[in-house]
Amino acid sequence: MATSPTGLTATPAVEEPARRKGRRKADRQGRTTPPGTGRQDHQPIWRRAPYLVALALASVLFTYPFLWLISASFKPRTDVFDNALIPHRWRVANLADVWHYGQMVNWLVNSAVVGIAAATTVTISSAVVAFGFAYFRFPGRNVLFGLVLATMMLPQAVTMIPVYLIWNKIGLTGTQVPLWAQNIFGSAFYIFLLRQFFLSLPRELFEAARVDGCGFFGLFWRIALPLARPALAIVFIFEIQASWNDLLKPLIYLQNTSLFTMPRGLKSIIDTFGNGGEHHWEIISAASLIATIPMIVIFAFAQRHIIDGIATTGRKG
Amino acid sequence: MAAVTTAARTRRKRNGSRSRETRAAYGFIGVWIIGFLVFTLGPMIASLVLSFTDYNAISSPRNVGWDNYRQMMSDPKVAKALGNTLVYAVMYVPTAMAVALCLAMILNRVGRASGFFRTVFYLPVMTPPVAAGALFLLLLNGNQGLLNRTLHLVGINGPNWTTDTAWVKPGLAITMLWGVGGMVVIYLAALRQVPKDLYEAAALDGAGAWMRFRRITLPMISGALFFTLIVQTIYALQMFDQAYTMFFGGQENSTYSNDAALFYVIYLFQQGFGFLHMGYASALAWLLFVVIMIITAIQVRVSRRFVYYEGERD
Amino acid sequence: MITRRGFLAGSAGALALGVTSACGGVSGKSKSSGGGASKGDTGAISTQGFGKPDDVGQARIDAFKSAYPKVQVNINEGDFDAQQFLSAVASGNPPDLVYLHRDMVGSYAAKGAIQPLDDHLDSAGIKTGLYRPAALQEVTIGGKVYGVPEFYDTRNILMSGTALRSAGLTAADLGTSDWDKLHTNAVKLYKANGGKISRIGFDPKVPEFLPLWAKANGADLVNPDGSPNLADPKVIEALTFALSLVDEQGGWSKFKAFRDSWDLFGAKNEFKKDQAGAFPWEGWYVNVLVQATPKLDLDSVPFTDRQGKPISFSNGSAWCLPKGAKNPAAALNWMKVLTSTDTWLKAAAARQATVEKNKSVFTGLWTSNPTADAQVKAKYVKPGTTGFDKAIQNYYASNEYAFSIAPSKAGNEIKTAWTEAANRALSGQQKPDAAMRQAQSEAAKAFSAVK
Repeated sequence: MATSPTGLTATPAVEEPARRKGRRKADRQGRTTPPGTGRQDHQPIWRRAPYLVALALASVLFTYPFLWLISASFKPRTDVFDNALIPHRWRVANLADVWHYGQMVNWLVNSAVVGIAAATTVTISSAVVAFGFAYFRFPGRNVLFGLVLATMMLPQAVTMIPVYLIWNKIGLTGTQVPLWAQNIFGSAFYIFLLRQFFLSLPRELFEAARVDGCGFFGLFWRIALPLARPALAIVFIFEIQASWNDLLKPLIYLQNTSLFTMPRGLKSIIDTFGNGGEHHWEIISAASLIATIPMIVIFAFAQRHIIDGIATTGRKG
Repeated sequence: MAAVTTAARTRRKRNGSRSRETRAAYGFIGVWIIGFLVFTLGPMIASLVLSFTDYNAISSPRNVGWDNYRQMMSDPKVAKALGNTLVYAVMYVPTAMAVALCLAMILNRVGRASGFFRTVFYLPVMTPPVAAGALFLLLLNGNQGLLNRTLHLVGINGPNWTTDTAWVKPGLAITMLWGVGGMVVIYLAALRQVPKDLYEAAALDGAGAWMRFRRITLPMISGALFFTLIVQTIYALQMFDQAYTMFFGGQENSTYSNDAALFYVIYLFQQGFGFLHMGYASALAWLLFVVIMIITAIQVRVSRRFVYYEGERD
Repeated sequence: MITRRGFLAGSAGALALGVTSACGGVSGKSKSSGGGASKGDTGAISTQGFGKPDDVGQARIDAFKSAYPKVQVNINEGDFDAQQFLSAVASGNPPDLVYLHRDMVGSYAAKGAIQPLDDHLDSAGIKTGLYRPAALQEVTIGGKVYGVPEFYDTRNILMSGTALRSAGLTAADLGTSDWDKLHTNAVKLYKANGGKISRIGFDPKVPEFLPLWAKANGADLVNPDGSPNLADPKVIEALTFALSLVDEQGGWSKFKAFRDSWDLFGAKNEFKKDQAGAFPWEGWYVNVLVQATPKLDLDSVPFTDRQGKPISFSNGSAWCLPKGAKNPAAALNWMKVLTSTDTWLKAAAARQATVEKNKSVFTGLWTSNPTADAQVKAKYVKPGTTGFDKAIQNYYASNEYAFSIAPSKAGNEIKTAWTEAANRALSGQQKPDAAMRQAQSEAAKAFSAVK
């Protein structure tokens, strides 16, 4: 199969060459095992230990901020900076009080509603467009798709102001509609992702359906779409996350506090009660925690999809 | 005879079906095309036109010719904002890629256990940027923040990450480094695609670890490296959420501005939506566009020599 | 281009119309009827920028609701946010009332974001003579009144008696008439060990109070006609002095970080924990201190200019009418009720109730309405000899002689310019004179750009 740059073909090593010493040089087996498993698992644990230790240390670094946040949410204000992992004095009331510092319930609901609206529209529309690019052969296809890719790299700031003015003219600034309505027309990144997927579907499926008299839309609706469920799920979840995290659009379009999304609301809490206010760091921590938990929950349920989705973008990029 | 008519019929059918296919295709793609015209191309052109006006969305626009661009050239804040943004990008992107690559390579060595750790590294990516900004505002506090307390334990006097102009951007970079999990996932997937026998053969040839890294690993994952370089640079040049959360907005913060955290998009936002100088902000937007295009073009040009595609060997 | 955008807007609009009904969106504002518009006692009004009302605020809201029971009041939470407000005005759906700092009125008036009130004042029966001249001046641009003022914050110097005694100083030693002496004493009060600040001696509170320091040195930041005066040598001298105080007390970065760590509003505040010696501050902070640490050894002196004459600068808030407000008559009635003497008395009673409940002290209410001020003071402020009483007396005194910054059609831009210049100077990025000169050119440009 593959020839190495030095021209030698691979021969599976039978046993660990004696001169290989030290952490960097693991021994080699054949390639038949699936990636990421097998080969390393056959190694004795003490070989893998240094890497595991390094990973454990890194994990502490990455996880500690979360733990700090959780613990700060339960501390009284003056204890927040004592940096103790377990609070010396527990103030569970924070979790109850925080709901009074801002319309947190409204904000969570708003984020959910906007997120679902954004994800639903973008998934359907991107799938439609992606199918168009994947299945059909037509003049201008490559040029247009290149255009789609180009828009992926367009900085949002460039169109931000005129788009705002458009919504202004229509009279929808101040509502939540501009936060998601653009998704009705698809989004370049998801079009790219879904097109990759549709391209991988065997053409015979479609040919067979055409012979049976299926219309083009039927091909999409009845064949491609059901098969695309995993990819659609990835798109849906990504967009919920992107919409939940967005700060710029809510900043620009929302003025009525009760319409805020969670990050926008969180920012207003930070402004009112943080440095400029009464330094209510424990409330800010609690609110940040509440803003993050839904995303963690989504991750817990959809981890497989999310990781696969990210990995795919890198591979095909 | 039959063959000719069949051929002719096929040709006709192919031509007819070709145009039907084209129409159908545009039916599917039309959705995107409309969106492109209304929300991308239209606004880009409108933005260009606006950049020659003075417009505050309350009264009508007033043509001012090149004034906005002239002002942009002499506005010290523009230079500051652009400088801040570029410095930050240069500081952050290579560091993040290096850190992510290290983690990915270590993950690649531990087999099945990598799943658990990969989750741990990816979890921070799910944190909303505003929450992350708030969290790190507290963690990076110069006096009592966790980072400086920890550094103090090993005898280092940490700087004031949130107030010292020299350390604001590194502090922000640290905040963003918490989220390298996405790149780790991409690099890990790319590393796993590298054929193991390449390493074997090289090792048999006597290549050292560094040599194997340079000659095998890097080229084989260069696609992923290229992709993340472009994407991360574009993101870095548009830094907004975390910096705005931590250093701007709100009335009190309007007294304590920190020029070191004035990123380009933040300045654009202030001008466009804080002061309603929409004409000026449009000019600023176009400058950003040009800068990003130039930098991306340079990156693509330079990377083309280094990116190695599987199918292009031999 | 406008036609093209119109076309694009039209096509997108057709789609958007279909989804407009799906969103809750703009509520309440569209419900204001035209019928009661002339009398202003029906319909709905919405406010923006009136944060979370405290006891005083709530009492006044209740006063309006009982005076105009048929008007539906929608208070938008959150403090004033410039971008939120401007965006609302630009969208043609502004609130009926906007509550902002008086120093912002000039710029928004010039932008056309708020309307002049003169005609409305007459029909609502609001007499401008009811308000303090300095407060009214801040909201009068080009001879037209753009806002109805409320609250009058003045500044004096608050200090920790304990800290003073520990350094062998008296309150007078930290007065602001002799800048050299102040400098020396501030350093005496300053404590640090090993590079970490443990007590700030005297916090000059720049950039916020730069107007005060400039005036103490004999200069105004804004000229009476609204043009900026930021590069005046006296202003630069004032900034340099304030800077020198900060530099000798740890340098800006450490100074600010240390100050940010204070528990300003709590029981472990900076005076209690001996983290601060003295600083100028607004009068409402006395109220905060007396609630958090009633036994505090507080001292205070008036802020003086370099000749020893007490000065203070004031600002506060104002109610303004945004352009495009749907129910201006009711909005004006709101303004009238909320700032009338009767209502202030009701508010003071509510504050007194809180004071009694917390077994605290009535620390003063400064309203921009001198009649109300006098009546409230007579009824609720008890004379006494504690540090808190002395502070209250000082603030009532400064209430009478405070000056306000001249209003300007580029007020916001000017303020931004000198604020940022001061920040640049503080963080060492620029020398004070270069910073203020840059500020002056930015401000002058902004001032001449406004029609």
